[in-house]
Amino acid sequence: MNTQLSPSPGTGEPTRPDHRPAPVRETGRFDGQHRRRLLRADALTVAAWSSLAASIALWLADGGLATTASPAGLVTALGIVAGLAGMDLVLLMLLLAARIPFIDGAVGHDRALEFHRKLGKPSLYLLLAHGLLIAVGYGMAEGLDPVSEAVALWVLVPDMWLAFISLALFIAVVVTSLVAVRQRFPYEFWYVVHLLTYAAVLTSLPHQFSVGGLFAVGTWQRWYWLAICIATGAALLYYRIIQPLRATFRHQLTVERVTSVAPGVVNIEMSGLQLGLLAGNGGRFFIWRFLAPGLWWHPHPFSLSAEPVRTGPDGHGRLRITVRDLGRGSAQLLRLRRGTKVAVEGPYGLFSSAARSKDRVVMIGAGIGITPLRALLETTPFAPGQATVLLRGHSNRELYLGEEILELCRQRGATLFHLTGGRDPGSPNSWLPAAEHRAGYALADYVPAIAFADVYVCGPSRWSGNVLNAARAAGVHEDQLHHERFDW
Amino acid sequence: MQQTSEPTHRLRARTFTCMGTVISLTVPTDAHKPPQAAADELEAATAVVERLFTELDSVFSLYRPDSEASRLVRGELALPAASAEMRARYEEAAEWRLLTEGAFTPERPDGGLDLSGIVKGHAIREAGTSLLALGMANWCLNAGGDVLVSGSPSPGTDVPWWAGIVDPADRRTLLAGFPLGGGFSAPSFAPAGLAPLSGKTADGGTRVALATSGSAERGDHIWSATAGAVEFLQVSVAAADVVTADVLATAIVAGGVSMLNRATVMWDIEALAVRANGELLATGGFRR
Amino acid sequence: MRIRAAVSAALASAGILLVGWQSGVHVADTRSAAAAAATGNQASGTGTTDSSGTASSGSSGSGGSAAGSSGSTGTAGAAGAAGAAAKAGGTYDGEVVQTRFGTVQVQIIVKSGQITDVTALKLTDAEGRSMQISNYAAPILRDEVLQAQSANVQTVGGATVTSDAYLTSLQAALDAANL
Repeated sequence: MNTQLSPSPGTGEPTRPDHRPAPVRETGRFDGQHRRRLLRADALTVAAWSSLAASIALWLADGGLATTASPAGLVTALGIVAGLAGMDLVLLMLLLAARIPFIDGAVGHDRALEFHRKLGKPSLYLLLAHGLLIAVGYGMAEGLDPVSEAVALWVLVPDMWLAFISLALFIAVVVTSLVAVRQRFPYEFWYVVHLLTYAAVLTSLPHQFSVGGLFAVGTWQRWYWLAICIATGAALLYYRIIQPLRATFRHQLTVERVTSVAPGVVNIEMSGLQLGLLAGNGGRFFIWRFLAPGLWWHPHPFSLSAEPVRTGPDGHGRLRITVRDLGRGSAQLLRLRRGTKVAVEGPYGLFSSAARSKDRVVMIGAGIGITPLRALLETTPFAPGQATVLLRGHSNRELYLGEEILELCRQRGATLFHLTGGRDPGSPNSWLPAAEHRAGYALADYVPAIAFADVYVCGPSRWSGNVLNAARAAGVHEDQLHHERFDW
Repeated sequence: MQQTSEPTHRLRARTFTCMGTVISLTVPTDAHKPPQAAADELEAATAVVERLFTELDSVFSLYRPDSEASRLVRGELALPAASAEMRARYEEAAEWRLLTEGAFTPERPDGGLDLSGIVKGHAIREAGTSLLALGMANWCLNAGGDVLVSGSPSPGTDVPWWAGIVDPADRRTLLAGFPLGGGFSAPSFAPAGLAPLSGKTADGGTRVALATSGSAERGDHIWSATAGAVEFLQVSVAAADVVTADVLATAIVAGGVSMLNRATVMWDIEALAVRANGELLATGGFRR
Repeated sequence: MRIRAAVSAALASAGILLVGWQSGVHVADTRSAAAAAATGNQASGTGTTDSSGTASSGSSGSGGSAAGSSGSTGTAGAAGAAGAAAKAGGTYDGEVVQTRFGTVQVQIIVKSGQITDVTALKLTDAEGRSMQISNYAAPILRDEVLQAQSANVQTVGGATVTSDAYLTSLQAALDAANL
């Protein structure tokens, strides 16, 4: 059974929502914000490619081309360039994973990680090429076969043994990150191996500055390379370690209450300080670590399911997350004890008002994905009648926080649809319940002006994919689509 | 045998034959010592050195069928089961092979092991240590043309020993000379095997060893690393320790000009090389 | 927006590469081919230019050989021309060669046609510092080496001789005088 809440209540039977002609012009309240955000995203793209070009240019500026006259020189030069480019990509990967607010605010954390993953294989190929071509090139120059040359490099040239170790570590990291391999090992194993990246980068640094002369003392190239390495390290240190520690100590979060809202779903309320700083982040997620035995080493990405509530004058208050048992450590959360301390990192993600580009907004959620939408609904700006919320679930019980969302929609003048029921088994690409799907409903029927709206989608990944496709088919641009992935 | 020295004849020498060549030990007469004591001292020193050489020869000589080296070459003995001395010399030679990138190698073309290239230098080095241990600070040891000195032929002064270098074309004339020792009293024996790759000792006067290798040499241990005609007839290397000088001289004869340039950069040495056509290449220390 | 990003990135990268290339070319232009003077002597002396490329006649990463390698890179013809130029005198910078010891560029100082000093301009040691090499084995005339007569040496060095050959050698004469 479906219910819909709109300015004119329905009769209880499924009715087709009436079509209204879409207005020709929008007021463009978010135009400026959107333009600036895209500019920042483009600037990041340009900066990334420029850094790659710069790493090669500094070799060119050293007169590198002049050494390519001979076969050995050419091979060696290719090896050097491959190494420079590979290291630059590695630094970019580190920066993308560093959770830098500028990057998060421009493209979003999950897209940043997507680029991070994409750079993995190219960077490894470049580093492998670097090692191979250098061994061949130097060997050609000295009349040695590559293996002997490699041995000579290991034995005779300082810091080269570290470089060999570094390459081995890189190979280990990338191989275990390949999807095929990753699925065969527990997450914790993959994570530990991935941490070896730091060791791989650190062991690769000495030989870059001591072998080959490009970064010899006194060259401007040395300053540049030092600067980018140090900057990357500083960013990692600050944004991944110092900032979270500061946030944890600043907010002093403690579990107050754990209440059940549905089978397998609980609200976890926490008290803390200076919660005003966490306000306004509806839809963004934090990484939570509950400091209890057996739980502290599981990082959980969850969004707030409501705005923080202030109860005291100094920002003392409460905040809430809604969690479902999804396995892998989540089950224990259902049994959290009062008084457990919580370490928090964040907020992260672009699933928020910062991503808005249109005046209208559509929020489509399923299952526990409804949670961030609830928080977004509370804070994101829209005029009455300009927002639509679609909640999807197998039954009413799965429309978590349904009462709260209903109340919010009523207060703010948003249109709400409940879409319950199983999927049509014969249509794997459908996001609608079977009845609606067979009746021929499409997304535009629920939101006629969807092409002029920001569309926020959150739910299981396959279902979300179907929704996004339906939105694209209805004329929504990529810039207007906002999707929070829970499975990274 | 020694004769009573005349007042103006200040050097004494003793010789013996070993390793197929002649080893000479020359010491300045100590005016303060009674002649008999000085003679005894020289006698004792020579005996020590001779024993050292003989012992090493008995182990490493490939001309003795019963030496450990011969047994090794014949396959009766495996290297891991060889004596500590054998393995130590092999390890030292292998390190030099790596450092000279194959120009110096203990492996003969037929695969057999010939450590004679390193053993003679090692023997001289050990002999020098023994002489110092005996309390002798001024001496000159010449083993088949490789020279190691300590102190000065005029004790108490900084006058260096002068070593002549024969002309390979006419062994009765001297091509050049080189000062050894003097100035600083004790030779510096580098740790067994390796001279430092980098870090120059800026002073040029502490060379105490001069080793010479030639393609006209008796030794079988030079396998030419460069295809074709040998580039150098003879190479002399002066260094702070005798094994370095000996190995590098051998390596340069085998490796040619490329090895010469590599050696002068990587090690703190002076070198004089005689080309097949008689032309000379020399580092600055050989220049007048 | 993606197109804007792609175009800007391409332009920026191209610009950066261009700047780098131009600075590199400028650096190379300031070097004189006459630096191969040392090579000229070597190449003409040995009569061989090793078939492999850079650092080849040195066959190694040493500074001295870098001079040789720049010559062999430039072929023997350049060596000849360089030899002629070297007769004049002056300071010459050789080509930059990549070796595993670093980038090596050799500067030689020629006086009256004789190489009197060779310096590696860019050779890095283990700590990444520039190293000077001034110990190049250069051609030398017989009357320019340290002289020695049998009267003023105490010992004679030479390739090992057999015990028989010793008997007729200079060393034997010295030892006999000292016995």
